[in-house]
Amino acid sequence: MIDLKSTPHSLIENFSLMKGLLSTYGPDSFQVLREQAFRSFSEFGLPTTKDEEFKYLSLKALEDGRFAPAYGATIDRYQVEQTAVGQVDAITVTFVNGEYAPELSSAHLLPKGVFIGSIRDGLAAHEGSIVRHLGEIATLKGKLGTTNDERFVYLNTAYLTDGAFVYLPKGVSLELPVHILYLTSADHGPLVSFPRTLIVLEENSDAKVLETYLGIEGVYFTNAVTEVFLGESAILEHTRFQDEQIESVHIGVNAVHQGADSIYTSNNVTFGARIARNDVNVWLDGEHTETWLNGASVGFGHQAIDNHTRIDHAKPNCNSFEVYKTILGDHALGVFNGKIFVYEDAQKTDAKQTNKAILLSPTATINTKPQLEIFADDVKCTHGATIGQLREESLFYLQSRGIPKPEAQGLLVYAFAAEVLEKITIPTVRDILEKALFEKLKESQKLPDQDGE
Amino acid sequence: MLEIKNLHARVEDKEILRGIDLSVKAGETHAIMGPNGSGKSTLASVIAGKSGYEVTSGSVELNGLDLLEMEPAERAAAGVFLAFQYPVEIPGVTNTYFLRAALNNIRRSRGEHELSMSDFMKHIKSKVLLMDMENSLLSRSVNEGFSGGEKKRNEIFQMAVLEPSLAVLDETDSGLDIDALKVVANGVNALRSPDRAIVVVTHYQRLLNYIVPDYVHILMDGRIVKSGGKELAFELEEKGYGFVEEELASKA
Ligand SMILES: Nc1ncnc2c1ncn2[C@@H]1O[C@H](COP(=O)(O)OP(=O)(O)O)[C@@H](O)[C@H]1O
Ligand SMILES: [Mg+2]
Repeated sequence: MIDLKSTPHSLIENFSLMKGLLSTYGPDSFQVLREQAFRSFSEFGLPTTKDEEFKYLSLKALEDGRFAPAYGATIDRYQVEQTAVGQVDAITVTFVNGEYAPELSSAHLLPKGVFIGSIRDGLAAHEGSIVRHLGEIATLKGKLGTTNDERFVYLNTAYLTDGAFVYLPKGVSLELPVHILYLTSADHGPLVSFPRTLIVLEENSDAKVLETYLGIEGVYFTNAVTEVFLGESAILEHTRFQDEQIESVHIGVNAVHQGADSIYTSNNVTFGARIARNDVNVWLDGEHTETWLNGASVGFGHQAIDNHTRIDHAKPNCNSFEVYKTILGDHALGVFNGKIFVYEDAQKTDAKQTNKAILLSPTATINTKPQLEIFADDVKCTHGATIGQLREESLFYLQSRGIPKPEAQGLLVYAFAAEVLEKITIPTVRDILEKALFEKLKESQKLPDQDGE
Repeated sequence: MLEIKNLHARVEDKEILRGIDLSVKAGETHAIMGPNGSGKSTLASVIAGKSGYEVTSGSVELNGLDLLEMEPAERAAAGVFLAFQYPVEIPGVTNTYFLRAALNNIRRSRGEHELSMSDFMKHIKSKVLLMDMENSLLSRSVNEGFSGGEKKRNEIFQMAVLEPSLAVLDETDSGLDIDALKVVANGVNALRSPDRAIVVVTHYQRLLNYIVPDYVHILMDGRIVKSGGKELAFELEEKGYGFVEEELASKA
């Protein structure tokens, strides 16, 4: 008899094929990380809807799919320029199918001590920093929570090869934004890639980073992990834009470690894939930090978009503000789970969480769960959730100015998400994402033309 | 231009307009005055086509067109403009984009060609100047974070851009200091022309010093109880609405 359980899926199988190749990459400590992570992943396997953290998201596509290990594809500069983010003026680091693509990256004169490039190249001058942080930030070990689930961090780490590395030494402010661009083109059948990003901002440094995941063609699985370390008083504006191919799966974990007095802003823009899952985990490890988590997700057809966020208020006097918005049409499924843990020590925590959804069709659904777990007594924590239609007054206001109802509705749907994009302070990035949002909504929402703006 | 006959309207089961007759000819400016709750905003909303009001009898026509049969956007295309008592904030939509969508829709439904971006910008910049506003306002979201006075000014700015044939201004004077009031009045007066009509809704006479009406109507309890020339507004200011009530009582 065939025991189905013993038939490993491709994500497990690939490891024995890849092991030899993987071991040639990076210092010995990477090999230790990989082996440990693979053991942990194999032990737990892929999550199912019986697992609390994946309750609403079926990952059968990963179980059933035959995803080959990714190898490079050729994408030329022209193709990149044609994409939504092709015109962003930034220090760009591009990866194609997980492989660093220097020909699609841009060289810039950087301030002394700054590194922006691949992890592989970064190891030469920054091995200490990389080894110290990689894997350390994304872990949930020792953190509160009874349903912590790190399987997709394990999986990514098991296949750790290359990725992007950004390093700012003390006191450096970057003028230009950094753009980390992960492109996937699965033109020879389904593949899986494991992008890994490490951003280290030492004390008093300041940067703006755009991290983009774009699909060019095919069916694939992107399992991304990003780790962000902010030293004391460091400031990072981190925009993540995800627009994968429609039949693909994207599972990304963004883990952040904030030192005292640091300010972290995450603008998380998700247009999804067939299945898109984002985890944003922020660990507040010093007093007087500020955290802004902004999210805008848009899904149509049979897309599933699942946003999980957690903020660990482990120290006193920290503020966090969170606004997540979701627009769903057709049969799309949305999930929002927002955890806020306030540790015993973390007096004077001020945490505010809001999430809003607009459902454009009766067959679209959203599951929303704010989850506040508070172990300190002198704190201010609020959350609010609305699932709704558009406001009548706004609709009438637009109509009274001559804009017909369907167009007015479209405009308000656009505005609902555009309000999140307004938080982006890099003008070119904001403009580009507004345009991308407009295009994404245009067809279904009868939006009036925007050319020339 | 505007012919309202025996208009009755209710909200839920409450009758608010109880038989309004009003005739406004092209080139005229009418003021409608009345105490709070008398139905002024309801009248303005019914003209503009806001949902939630049930017209139980009567008619509203604009140049012979039955407004009550039209969608709000069609009314706007036909030339109706309502300056809201409480303008709505629309975060995420810039003034420029909003006005361009509005103007082009109106032009299209009139069979006119759309304005090119540069002609449109020329057009709105001249109105920015007229309304003594900052150009930066154009790239801001509609009314978002505006003070009460700024919102009112923005209403008149929109009116100036859309150049309606019938403008209904609902309490546009409230929340304005004297300088802003002059700017607003100036914007309204600039629109006055022989082929346009203006209805100013207010419960103070103050604005009428700057936008001088041809006729004044007093609305009480859902009916126009008295009409007269501009001197009626002064009389009201002086004696208060009480005098009208007394007059009505003595007639009864
Ligand atoms: N949407 C509504 N729902 C319930 N009552 C309303 C509504 N709009 C107006 N009313 C009532 O109708 C009456 C007239 O209101 P309104 O037209 O706003 O008066 P005015 O503008 O003259 O102050 C008031 O008693 C008000 O409470
Ligand atoms: Mg009113």
